[in-house]
Amino acid sequence: MTSLEEYVGKLGCTDETERTYAAEDLGYLNAPEAVPALLERLRHEPSLTVRDAIFQALSRTDGDAPIKASVQLLESEDPQIRNQAVIVLRGKGARVIPFLNALMRTGDRRLRKLVLDALSGVQMVDAGEIYASALRDQDPNVVITAVENIGGIRAAEFRNRIEELLRLNSHPMLTAACLEALVGIGGASSLEAIRRCFPDLAVLPDFLLASCLKAFAALGSAREFPEVANLLLVRGHHLRPAILGALKGIHSRCPLDAPPQKLVSTLQAVIENGDPPLCRYQAVQALGLWAGRDDICTLLVSCLTSEERLIRLAAAESLRAAKRPDLHRLLAERAREESDEEVLQALTC
Amino acid sequence: MPDLSVEQFQKLSQHIYQKLGLHFDDKKLYFLKTRVARRMAALGIDRAQDYVFMVAYADPEGLELQALANLITTNETYMFREYEQLQAFANHCLPEVLSAKQARGQKTLRIWSAGCSSGEEPYTLAMILQEVFPQAQSWACEIVATDIDENMLQKVAAARYGSRSIAEVPDEYREKYLIADGGDHVVRGRTAALVQTRHLNLHDRIAMRAMRGFDFIFCRNVLIYFDDLSRKSVVDRFYNALNPGGYIFLGHSESIGRVSTAFKLKRFENHLVYGKE
Repeated sequence: MTSLEEYVGKLGCTDETERTYAAEDLGYLNAPEAVPALLERLRHEPSLTVRDAIFQALSRTDGDAPIKASVQLLESEDPQIRNQAVIVLRGKGARVIPFLNALMRTGDRRLRKLVLDALSGVQMVDAGEIYASALRDQDPNVVITAVENIGGIRAAEFRNRIEELLRLNSHPMLTAACLEALVGIGGASSLEAIRRCFPDLAVLPDFLLASCLKAFAALGSAREFPEVANLLLVRGHHLRPAILGALKGIHSRCPLDAPPQKLVSTLQAVIENGDPPLCRYQAVQALGLWAGRDDICTLLVSCLTSEERLIRLAAAESLRAAKRPDLHRLLAERAREESDEEVLQALTC
Repeated sequence: MPDLSVEQFQKLSQHIYQKLGLHFDDKKLYFLKTRVARRMAALGIDRAQDYVFMVAYADPEGLELQALANLITTNETYMFREYEQLQAFANHCLPEVLSAKQARGQKTLRIWSAGCSSGEEPYTLAMILQEVFPQAQSWACEIVATDIDENMLQKVAAARYGSRSIAEVPDEYREKYLIADGGDHVVRGRTAALVQTRHLNLHDRIAMRAMRGFDFIFCRNVLIYFDDLSRKSVVDRFYNALNPGGYIFLGHSESIGRVSTAFKLKRFENHLVYGKE
């Protein structure tokens, strides 16, 4: 009896461990002819451990057979099997493209969505045709998934189509996905497209504003800075992290010499009013954008004695980054009193 | 230092958690930022967003993530490391398994320290076992310490440790289980006798199948160095190596839940442990 026959035979053992080992051995045997037996076992296999071993075997087996099997499994009624099949396909590289392309042409909307799931997070140069087709799909879920994938892999060749989809504004989730994708692949035209769609940020629904702010962080200019800063006053506390992130993002590309009016007092209020620690950290960092100014430097120095460690950390980082010689002694003195290891490192680095 | 924004920190820490099972909360914000800065400097990357993108989407072999992992994990090992986890073992899991065995009239206990390095972990377990279960000497108790590195196994066999290795050993344990010898400490013979060394590569599936019938498996801060597929294979083998009712312990910041659905999660005080039903 060959090893292949032996292992295939053991797939039918009553002992779960033996079946797991048999599936594992078939994977290491890397024998495409074992794939039908693995597939057949999967149809009746109750054990999650054995199922996992079968999918690992499909992952380890080269050639088209495990790809065809996984494509077949995408039609399973069992979501666990569908998800595992997607993972196997994702690991197979460019070899899956012709199969996924065919499925994109013939499959129903659920299968088309799974095709895109199988491409998610994977840089595949030959997947352009699939994405071009997906971006014109009738089903919004397919289009949204395609846009999310494109943003994830920064496929800038689809920027124009995504800007077009943004302008069509056909589905709120799609609009949000387009904004997020443009964070990674957008350019000047993208900022214009966003501005045309959303001339007034203050009235945008929360979920769109959060995505829009990410796009502004990546693409916005000094012109947008005061408008974004003003959102701290007119929008809810839960949006503050996104607003502060956008301010920092814009400033890193288009530094402003001085903060807009009221921003300093607004940031002070955020630092003092009990927002979540990470948000307060961001607010101190935002103040730190102008740490070279004496008035703001004084505020940052006062933050070094805050009870909240993240406020002290952000202040220490900002003051160190300002590279003001007049602060060296002060920071050294503060370091002697600091008990938090991370803040201490930031003070002394 | 290149500035990792809060959003980038959250995205990166989420990715590290998904891929390596290591949890970084805001207490580790500055730590992660400084390590990312080192990697960016080494790669010549100026913008934090480019680094985060690279790790998340342009690192199919996981090489950069591995390089980052080498900076964010410590290879340092010492006795009584991750004390709270050991308390869950000593106060809850070990008594539970021992009473189940006693009820069945069994007098065997097997513990596997997988990737034991220089042996601080298996000897810690031996001390705890003797402390919690003084009858251990009349049972067939065995702590199997395995490692891929023969040099490490020789250190385990020597059972001799410097001051750094024993710094966290509670005083009363130090008296009972260690003997000062020059500048070092040697594990007392009665305790050392509980530990057996064995050379084992966790990737060797045939050798791994011989590892069966364990009541506890400790594999702390080892799996983070494996790729996804290998990690899953190894965890599945651990599952097969455990007796029903047994427990597996990974590093305190590692999660098994995202690697395998086979184990059942239990909470003991503030600690989560995974068991086989």
